[in-house]
Amino acid sequence: MKQININVAAENKTRKVRIKPARILLHAVIISLGLLMLYPLIWMVLSSFKENTEIFQGGSFWPKSFTLENYIQGWTGLSGITFGKFFLNSLFVVGVAIIGNVLSCSMAAYAFARLDFTFKKILFAIMLVTLMLPFHVTVIPQYIMFNKLEWINTYLPLTLPKFLATEGFFIFLIVQFMRSIPRELEEAAEMDGCGPIKMYWFLIMPLSLPALITTMIFTFIWTWNDFFTQLLYLSDMEKFTVAVGLRMFVDAMGESSWGALFAMSTLSLIPLFIIFIFFQKYLIEGITTGGVKG
Amino acid sequence: MINPWGVDTSIMKSVLRKNAVAYLFLSPWLIGLLALSVIPMGASLYFSFTEYDMFSSPQWIGLENYSGMIEDPKYLKSIEVTLTYVLFSVPLQLSFALGVSVLLNRGLRGLKIYRATYYVPSLFGGSVAVALLWRQLFGGEGLVNKFLASIGIEGANWISSPDTAIYTLIILAVWQFGSPMLIFLAGLKGIPNELYEAANIDGAGKLKQFFSITLPMLTPIILFNLIMQIIGAFQAFTPAYIVSGGEGGPLDSTLFYTLYLYQKAFAHFQMGYASAMAWALLIMIAIVTAVIFASSKKWVFYQE
Amino acid sequence: MNKFRSLFISLISVVLLIAVAGCSGGSSESASKSGGDGEGKKVEIRFAWWGDTKRHEIYNSIVDRFEEKHPNIKVKREFGGWPEYWEKMATQIAGGNAPDVVSMHQFYVSDYARRNSLLNLDELVKSGDINQDQFDEATVDSGKVDGKIYMIAKGITMSGWAYNPALFDKLGVSYPDPNWTWEDFGKKVEELKAKGIWGTQDFSGGQLQPNFRYFARQNGQDLFTEDGKLGFEKETLIKWWSMWDDLRKKEAIPDGATSTEYESAPLEQNMFVTGKTAMHQIPANQLHLYQEQFKEGELELVPYPNVKDGENGEYIEGAYLSITQKSKHPKEAAMFIDFFVNAKESLELFKVEQGSPGSAEMAEFVKPLLSVPQQKAVDFIQEVVPDARPAAYAPLGVNEVEQAFKDNASAIIFGQHSVDEAADKFMKTAEGILK
Repeated sequence: MKQININVAAENKTRKVRIKPARILLHAVIISLGLLMLYPLIWMVLSSFKENTEIFQGGSFWPKSFTLENYIQGWTGLSGITFGKFFLNSLFVVGVAIIGNVLSCSMAAYAFARLDFTFKKILFAIMLVTLMLPFHVTVIPQYIMFNKLEWINTYLPLTLPKFLATEGFFIFLIVQFMRSIPRELEEAAEMDGCGPIKMYWFLIMPLSLPALITTMIFTFIWTWNDFFTQLLYLSDMEKFTVAVGLRMFVDAMGESSWGALFAMSTLSLIPLFIIFIFFQKYLIEGITTGGVKG
Repeated sequence: MINPWGVDTSIMKSVLRKNAVAYLFLSPWLIGLLALSVIPMGASLYFSFTEYDMFSSPQWIGLENYSGMIEDPKYLKSIEVTLTYVLFSVPLQLSFALGVSVLLNRGLRGLKIYRATYYVPSLFGGSVAVALLWRQLFGGEGLVNKFLASIGIEGANWISSPDTAIYTLIILAVWQFGSPMLIFLAGLKGIPNELYEAANIDGAGKLKQFFSITLPMLTPIILFNLIMQIIGAFQAFTPAYIVSGGEGGPLDSTLFYTLYLYQKAFAHFQMGYASAMAWALLIMIAIVTAVIFASSKKWVFYQE
Repeated sequence: MNKFRSLFISLISVVLLIAVAGCSGGSSESASKSGGDGEGKKVEIRFAWWGDTKRHEIYNSIVDRFEEKHPNIKVKREFGGWPEYWEKMATQIAGGNAPDVVSMHQFYVSDYARRNSLLNLDELVKSGDINQDQFDEATVDSGKVDGKIYMIAKGITMSGWAYNPALFDKLGVSYPDPNWTWEDFGKKVEELKAKGIWGTQDFSGGQLQPNFRYFARQNGQDLFTEDGKLGFEKETLIKWWSMWDDLRKKEAIPDGATSTEYESAPLEQNMFVTGKTAMHQIPANQLHLYQEQFKEGELELVPYPNVKDGENGEYIEGAYLSITQKSKHPKEAAMFIDFFVNAKESLELFKVEQGSPGSAEMAEFVKPLLSVPQQKAVDFIQEVVPDARPAAYAPLGVNEVEQAFKDNASAIIFGQHSVDEAADKFMKTAEGILK
């Protein structure tokens, strides 16, 4: 395997020399598309340095004078609770959610992808069906349930379900990846007397790393941005998350602090970015190590 | 040892053991299903046969909600809008995501930055900033029209003309193609290099490699993305909610199914009707999904 | 199959059990629990409102002051933006876990009051727990649904038309006369258009109130009758829509697409603020928010145009406080409301955050604390309030009626229906809903 990698690298080098103009064109296409993608981000970041009245008036893309006022005002938060607290809360919820999703969803996915059992097809279908009901109609029964359990105003409604694999999206995702793993590896391991639990942990999990990383990234982003559940179940400001905190700046019926909103939105994108860059590194390296093991 | 039913108990034992192991792995999900999903789903199914305003107890009315839907012109309109959205946004978004991920999967310099860049729009999700931005782009005096004017074309008011509004939302969906892209990228990483090596030795061109290796190897992921994007598109809510201010206008041209459902539930206090709509949608999605699954036997290749 | 059915039935019964338990808990306990409050037992109530950070800061401080004064009462705060606020509250009430004191609004009060989700406050007002002695009768009445008090005004406001005199001077157009009629209004709009600016944005559709409601009332009718039927005739609606249709055809107001584009725009981006229109209907209490957006000129407010020889259209709007039906501590909730609307400690922070204070005494008290545009707004409100007449609250189903109003108005705007067709359709739909 290592041998092959080196070969690929060597081959890449020669290829680069061979078709350079095409490469440049490729880069040009990718970059111009990228700018289109980035426009809103740039606009938002620049707006966050503008005076509140300048954001919509004046019309210039570039701030007339850079001000940090929005960041100061936004970070101050409310009644002595700063946005830093919201960040910590969000990180906590997200961290727990990631652990929960990766463990529970990969377990279920392993069963669906690799084990034989009765009712397999029906259960798989049920798993998909749970994804098909719009959440607006289940929110009230769910709220009643969590209220009966006295979980309102705790993080439990946001985190505990993740340990029970309620997000079928990830189960299905991991199933599809596991099904692409060659069977021979398991057969070999089975010969060595490896049981299903060991197989799951030591063989399938490492080989499914791309899917698991994807699960982590998505769980991070979706949980980070999911404001309605968090707003619904969290009432104490000390428990607020970033997504809920951001909503404080906007009032559809009157005035909104757009500057502070953009400033804090910009900050709230930073963890997402870091996580994305960080994990995608592992996304690539993970495959190589997986390959070596195989 | 033979038991009265003539089944070898050792086989039975092994079946039992297999089941025990499998259900052990499934147990978190099963508990979650029974404790967290079945009750709310059952409740909404029950509500769909009732008149329920959320504050008073539900009154059983049988199939009235369902029959009412067929006669509700706005309901029918919302199906039309949603189908248009699904039919356009899913194929466009997926082919875009696939194309870009194949492009990005080559050994390009600056790959990480590109990948992150292309994911940015998806980070925004349903932020209010998107609504402001879309007006800036597609409004009467938006950037798109400024661009068109510079090449001598007079643009329309894209975002608020009944004929074009839905397409701006389709563009929004395509623009936020990061999630399927990322999944494709992860899938591409899973294709063993040996295959390409072999093809190179055979002298197969890039295009041929794409069709004979990349695409077939990727079919399980394509299936996943297809199904998930379809489910997502049928349930699309946020784009119309934020861009049209939750109204589904102009002239109901962006009245997505779930947006109408939401209006019925939380603005008109008709949770019974909304629940019936939800279950009708579930059935529609289930049928589409089942058809795709049935067809997948013909075009999806698994390593088994 | 049998198994499935029994499974299904048992499932449903579990659900019902939970739902019933969720909905019924509380009301019977409320009396016994609130009895022993005076004896230093710690009581916790919850208070919810909508708004932005500035408002959250103000209300937080008001609550802090209340807690200082009543150390045995702890007030938990819940807040969010406007749309989420209502969705969360509906869910909480359905889930049997509503806050004790909630912020209420005219759009929604009939939905909540008529579905027995709000506490009838008559007793608490009579007993003096909530003191409304200093409230104008019209203000008190504006909190009544079917003659019973469900809401206490924290702030009241009146709608009017804002314009920027500086712009009118520049264009050489005379200011709107406070005693103008709808004909004058139309002429003014056309005159402005002749000078190169749209007179106003298209207010023909959207919400039923305030615009169309004023027009209906000035015509001696109203949106709804006391017994919950449609309160206006088709002719009135045709007159209203024709007036706007006329202006639209003359291009004195924006076309359909442009209007729609700005419909959901935030205040900072609406047509008036961005200088596309010259006159704009606003609730008076927002005058200072608009003023902040204008670099030159001091905005002025004029009352609604009249119908010639017609009646007054004026009625009181505002933001209110209610107690939810299942509150376990209605007494403490009432104490809180009383503090909120009557105590100087509260009002000196509140000022005119959601309108001029309901209590006339407090309205005078806050006046010196206000900025110029805020004072102007209060003057306007106080000037117009005497003209206000009671306005019946909507019956159940108002939201659907309003939807039909919006839909048909935009059908005219986009040329899909003629005014007559749209009015026909609307009347049919509305009468079907309110039968």
